[in-house]
Formats: sequence, C-alpha cells, structure tokens
Amino acid sequence: MGGVDVGSNGGGKRNVNQEINMIPFIDLLLVTVAFLLITAVWVTFSRINANAQIPGPPNPEKEITPQTPEKVLHLHIKDTEFSLVWKQGATVVSESSVPKPEQTGKLFIKYSDLADKLGEEWKLHGGHQDKSDKKVDQAVLHADNRLPFKEIIGVLDALYNQKRPMVLDGKEKKVPVFNMSFSVR
Amino acid sequence: MSIGAGRGHKHKDPHAHTIHQPGARLLRGVKLHFVYKKVAGHGARSVNESLNLIPFIDFLLVTVIFLLMSFSASGEITVDQNIKLPGAENVETVIEAPMVAVNGNQVLVDGHLAGSTRAIEDLGRMQKVDELFDLLKRKREMWKSFHPNKPFPGVCILQVDENVPALVVKSVFQTAAYAGYPNISFMVKKRGGPGGGF
Repeated sequence: MGGVDVGSNGGGKRNVNQEINMIPFIDLLLVTVAFLLITAVWVTFSRINANAQIPGPPNPEKEITPQTPEKVLHLHIKDTEFSLVWKQGATVVSESSVPKPEQTGKLFIKYSDLADKLGEEWKLHGGHQDKSDKKVDQAVLHADNRLPFKEIIGVLDALYNQKRPMVLDGKEKKVPVFNMSFSVR
Repeated sequence: MSIGAGRGHKHKDPHAHTIHQPGARLLRGVKLHFVYKKVAGHGARSVNESLNLIPFIDFLLVTVIFLLMSFSASGEITVDQNIKLPGAENVETVIEAPMVAVNGNQVLVDGHLAGSTRAIEDLGRMQKVDELFDLLKRKREMWKSFHPNKPFPGVCILQVDENVPALVVKSVFQTAAYAGYPNISFMVKKRGGPGGGF
C-alpha cells in the first residue's frame, strides 16, 4: 500500500515511515468512474446547415441598385444520376452529370464521386473563392417529393465536403464552399 | 505440564487424563504435519498475501481522466424515440435552438404536437403547416420580448427521420422559413472522425 519513506533515522525508537490507507482513495475513484459511466453520452449529434434564402424586409434607407445575378449551382437528384447545372439568372453556364451509385443494403449513404465532382465544379465556376470573401456559393437542391430524407442528407454531405479558407474575426477558418437551399415549385 | 506428577506414580492422579498442558487445540485432527502448519498458521511463511494496488489505481485514474474529458455538462440532446437520424461526415456542432422533430406520423416542436406528417403526404404537394407556423412564430416573438436589443438569429434545428419523404421535409423547411427561421439545420449522427458515434 502507499507509504511515506523518509529513510532510516539511525536508532530512533519509533519508525518514521508511515503507511497511507489507499482504500478510501480507491473507493472515491470507483464511485467517480461509476458516475461518469452512467452519465456518459456515447452518441454525438451534429447538424448540417441549410438556408431558405428568404430575403429580409427592404431597408428604405438603402438605395436599390440592379446587380448582375450570381452563378448558382442547381443540383438535380434523379433516379440514376445527379445533374449539375450552373446558371446565371436564366442562362445555363455549364452542365454535367455524375452517375448515382446503388446504396441498397448500406447502413449510411455516401456519394464520394459526387463530392469530388462538386469540388471540381466549384474550382471552375465558383464565384467566391477568395479568403477575404465572406459569401459562399449557392446550391439549389431539386429533389423528387418521394425521395427519402437519408438520400438528401447523403447529397448534402457531399455538397459540404469541399471546404475553403475564410477569414472570420481575424482568424482563418475552413468553411464549406456551398450553402444549400431547396427548390420550391 | 500435567498436575499431580510425583512420588513415582505417574497415573495415580485421578485428573491426569483430563488436564493437559496448555496450548493450541484447534485443527489437531489434521494428520499431515506440513498441512497442519499451513492451516493453523504455524508455517514459516504467512498465508496472507498483500496485493500491489498501484497498477489498479493507475488504471482507475486513467479511466476517470478519459471519462472526465468526454463528459458533457450540457447534457444529452433529447431526440424523439421514433426518429432514426441519418449519418453524415461534414457536420457542425449542435447549437441551442428550437427543435422541430419530424417522424413518420407527427411534427413536434420541443415535444409539442405541431402537425401531421400523414396529412402532408396525403395532400401530395408542398404546403404551409399552420400549427407549426403558429408555434414557431410564438417562439420567435417570445425570444424577441426577452432579448429586445439583439438581432434574432433565426436558427432552428430539424430532427427528421431518415425515411421521411422529401415532400414533408420541404414543407416543414419552408414553413419554418416563413415563421422567421431561415437558417435551418438538419440534425444528424456524426459519422467517422473524432467523437464519431459509428
């Protein structure tokens, strides 16, 4: 057991080495372990961002100036493929597609090819690539009404895979290059 | 030493067979001498062995430190038991915001019923969920009355079951946006990386 050894004192009557009783300490540790095990949270929840892109009320003090529409990525989830269309207003700038892999039997849906293609597309057409640019490119998701939510999350996960540095509050942070919104028809 | 020994007659004392020399009496029935010595405690080595508890204490300390580091003082986020959340890798940490739970049958806001999933599915087109809109609007107004000088963050978190159709998700999403919550997050299980559940 634990003890304090101060060496031999050379002929003293009482032994100066003292034994410390470690049992209460072990008891305390065991109780702490039990408490922490009971209150432990083993599954961590997180979130994936989206934005409804609803404009706020107009500010009467600001003068409205017509602006060139930004390029927006329209991502269509089809039965067999993903269609990626960059549009500037009503003009189609670029169009490409990625085959949709079968996800049956898999516990979690992951579209790695789509994530890679989205990264390439953003490097080609993305309008907000500078560190100091506080805005991110917009992606509009077009999904069939019957599509299960897990597939939407799989696509969102691929959409947020590509990240870029952004200076926020004087510090450089990695942020997703796209912000997602649903298409409403 | 026995009492009454003397005069050359060893066995004449009537108490000689009952009074014996004092000493240990227990376990005398054990025939083998070395076994008797062990069980009666007369052996050369003590049968009591002291265990070295230092490795045990070290192990407990490491366990306590690990559990303390992963301890969440804010408590577990309540997730509707009927909801199976999908998993994702590129995620952010959960923030404090109103929780809208969408399972196969109901829409709930912080545990209060706010609509029917079946009704949205049966209609077959996107619609504004009135009960959800009213509840969220009330929450927004309450927040503004408590924080009059702060801009409203407009964040709400949707806990949606992985098998709920996109129609319901879009309807709830748009309703929340119309109620003043345009920054909507979807709650997911973190997949892979540090702290990943699976």
